[in-house]
Amino acid sequence: MDWNGSQRHGSAMGGYPSYPSPQESLRLRRRPTNVADQSSPQFNWNPDRKEDERRQDLKELPLPMALKKSIWQVQQMKIPAVSRWQSWKMQKSKTLKRFRESSGGALAYVALWRRVLQKIGGHFGGGVQSYFLFLRFLVVLNFLSFLLIASFVLVPSIVFQSHNSGNNNTVNISAGKEECTTYDPNPQGLVHFYTYFIDLLTGTGFMEYSYLFYGYYNNTEVITNDFSYNIPLAYLLTAGFYFIFCLICIVIRMGSAVRIAVKTGGKAVGGYSTLVFTGWDYGLQGDRAVRLKQNSIRYQLQVDLEEERIKLKAASLTLAQIVGLYSLRAFLNLIVLALIGGSFYGIFLATEFSQGYQGTDFVSLVVEYLPSIVITAANFLVPFLCDQIALLERHSPSTTVILALLRAVFLRMISLGVLLFTLWSQITCRTAERGTCQPCGYNHTLYPCWETRVGQEMYKLAMFDFITVIAVMILVEFPRRMVVDHCSCKLVKFVGRQEFVVPQNVLGLVYGQTVVWVGALFCPLLPVINTVKFVIIFYCKRITLFYNCRPADRTFRSTSSNFFFLLVLLFGWMLACLTLIYSVAVIHPSMSCGPFLSLTTMWRVVPNSFYSLSDTTREFLLFIGSQAFSVPLFMLSCVVLAYVAALASVYGQSVSLLRAQLKLEGRDKKFLVKQIEELSSVTKRREQNF
Amino acid sequence: MGNKQTIFTAQQLDAYQDCTFFTRKEIIRLFHRYRDLAPQLIPLDYTNKPDVKVPYELIGSMPELKENPFRQRIAEVFSEDGEGNMTLDDFLDMFSVLSEMAPRDLKAYYAFKIYDFNNDDYICKSDLEKTLNKLTRNELSEDESRLVCEKVIDEADLDNDGRLSLEDFQHMIVRAPDFLSTFHIRI
Repeated sequence: MDWNGSQRHGSAMGGYPSYPSPQESLRLRRRPTNVADQSSPQFNWNPDRKEDERRQDLKELPLPMALKKSIWQVQQMKIPAVSRWQSWKMQKSKTLKRFRESSGGALAYVALWRRVLQKIGGHFGGGVQSYFLFLRFLVVLNFLSFLLIASFVLVPSIVFQSHNSGNNNTVNISAGKEECTTYDPNPQGLVHFYTYFIDLLTGTGFMEYSYLFYGYYNNTEVITNDFSYNIPLAYLLTAGFYFIFCLICIVIRMGSAVRIAVKTGGKAVGGYSTLVFTGWDYGLQGDRAVRLKQNSIRYQLQVDLEEERIKLKAASLTLAQIVGLYSLRAFLNLIVLALIGGSFYGIFLATEFSQGYQGTDFVSLVVEYLPSIVITAANFLVPFLCDQIALLERHSPSTTVILALLRAVFLRMISLGVLLFTLWSQITCRTAERGTCQPCGYNHTLYPCWETRVGQEMYKLAMFDFITVIAVMILVEFPRRMVVDHCSCKLVKFVGRQEFVVPQNVLGLVYGQTVVWVGALFCPLLPVINTVKFVIIFYCKRITLFYNCRPADRTFRSTSSNFFFLLVLLFGWMLACLTLIYSVAVIHPSMSCGPFLSLTTMWRVVPNSFYSLSDTTREFLLFIGSQAFSVPLFMLSCVVLAYVAALASVYGQSVSLLRAQLKLEGRDKKFLVKQIEELSSVTKRREQNF
Repeated sequence: MGNKQTIFTAQQLDAYQDCTFFTRKEIIRLFHRYRDLAPQLIPLDYTNKPDVKVPYELIGSMPELKENPFRQRIAEVFSEDGEGNMTLDDFLDMFSVLSEMAPRDLKAYYAFKIYDFNNDDYICKSDLEKTLNKLTRNELSEDESRLVCEKVIDEADLDNDGRLSLEDFQHMIVRAPDFLSTFHIRI
């Protein structure tokens, strides 16, 4: 059997040594095939192949080194008859290839935290590593968004502010209703020293009127002879592009995760064989790490066997037992819904109370943080209670994990949504009397500059999330480890060291990122604050992982869960997008601060500046928006979608066909071997008779 | 980079570079790691291709392999004499296959050989049991071990002969995306 490299690309095995085609196999099989034909693949001496392909093939051959070196020598001796130009080209391509190889090695150094991530993967498995990879993705995403915002909004604002002499035209508000335009963020009178600390945590005081929040930006519009820059338009379009950029990054990452999921056949088949043959990490060093890994593999196998037993038992229940079980589950689900509904109501009350409270001392700090405290408390308590309830539901372990995840996601995202809904209904006077919204279109008594207040709320949420992570690490995880290590009573040993629970941690990250997305329009520096926050969280989580945690007994299936995490992130993105659209298109911007002072909605700046474009650009943009363009575009994308879907189904079918063919080949082999044995025994008997 | 080293001829280095996934610097560095295992045995001058082998006990005491339960099988598979005593060629070959640039099929081929304890080109039940024992340090009970072996053969054996051939193994590896990162030793 020749190993033909070109056939490698065609066969489903990626195969090498590859299969001969079905027509050839019957012809070629003249002797039993359990002889080691497959272990001696041969080299394809085809001289038409390009030189680098042959070099690549040589590296990938499973031959001993001595054989490879002799093949290499023979290759070197074969001097192809080429012209001078071709030999120069070959030499240059060889040096280019060597250069690319060495630079590829150098570039790998630049990848952020590569070694740390590999070490984590080796010690704690792919599941924990996927959390840290997700965190790294979010850090890079936030940093790139900050660069986007800084270059289009922040830097021009700073430049134009510093050049605030006479030659720029600040469009001032014309219809100035006195009550709507008063806004005084600077504190009056003597301030205590601790208010600076409070201001840092809540974004009020000296931090309120700064580049951090929406209220500081002006609606400057610089129009000189050869350069014009419209800050309000830039602000709005940058926010829009920021969202689109994040969406593109998430979708690209989801695409690669989906590709892996499709390649592995979608479901997690082959759990046992995958664990046995690919579960051992050859890079592990150190006696303790090896022992822990062996324990984890053993535990995983035992848990999988246990799950099989539970499934068998569940399949053998009587009808009465099934009915009882399902009614119990329905009742418990009602309790879970009641718990979640109760926490939503609590968030609603807390937000209303906190928005109406005025004060400057320490109690007011607690009251300002009340919505964040209630959200975080609900997100700790309710999943914990749900876990206890889930023990009664008696699902299989994997279903329990998925259910717990879904409930936690639902709780987190909707609690944030409830907070936002409460805020917005207060701003647009849905809960207060009609009168307060009449003069300005928004609640100007409570919120002279409502965008800054929303930005402050998001800033407080992000800060509190960060403080919670650090506080839990210092006050819960380190003491727990010290107690477990030094105390030897039964209860403590039973509870044991902390386990790094991947899903809850990932949900925390998604929550933090959603808060940033919601707040980015009102607090433009929030992405950079979030970058710093995530970087600190990376290092803190790494420290706590190595010092306080033991490797999870139940290794999290990282391949399918990557896709799930990105899906949840996308859901958070959609929530933030909804908020953005509502704020931009519906609510009246504050008349006392910010770049959109003089407009009825933020969106109006786009049509207003549209008419200042040149004629041809206007015509072109109108054409793109009209039916003559969008209907054919829609039809074309439907055709492309149908084509891609058909292609995907054809590939899926061919994979299953090839898999069935493999099984048939095996039976083929056994049949032929039996026939050959029979024939040889018949001929032997005939020879004996003669 | 300049040809300042005197361990190999230029042609030998070129051959190593084309036959393994290492660059020149890495090959020299690996040679020094190899030599550090037995400095009195290995000469500093390989230009006349000396025929020296490092015995298995020294190979198995390398920090990268010391605690690996499969170290003996790894050394046996990659050594010329099948006993674990490795020449420099075997040493380079072994770490080249275990490096991160080796493709999946090459790694799968050698992983199959490592797990095939009786060297009959099939992973049968006894091979599987030995693999399981090494993976779990003999802490699984008889019943559990037997059940797991049955399940593995059920899942991966496609041609239904009760044992895993190389094709079955490779087909299973295709569906395990973690394989490339776990079958990897960094040196």
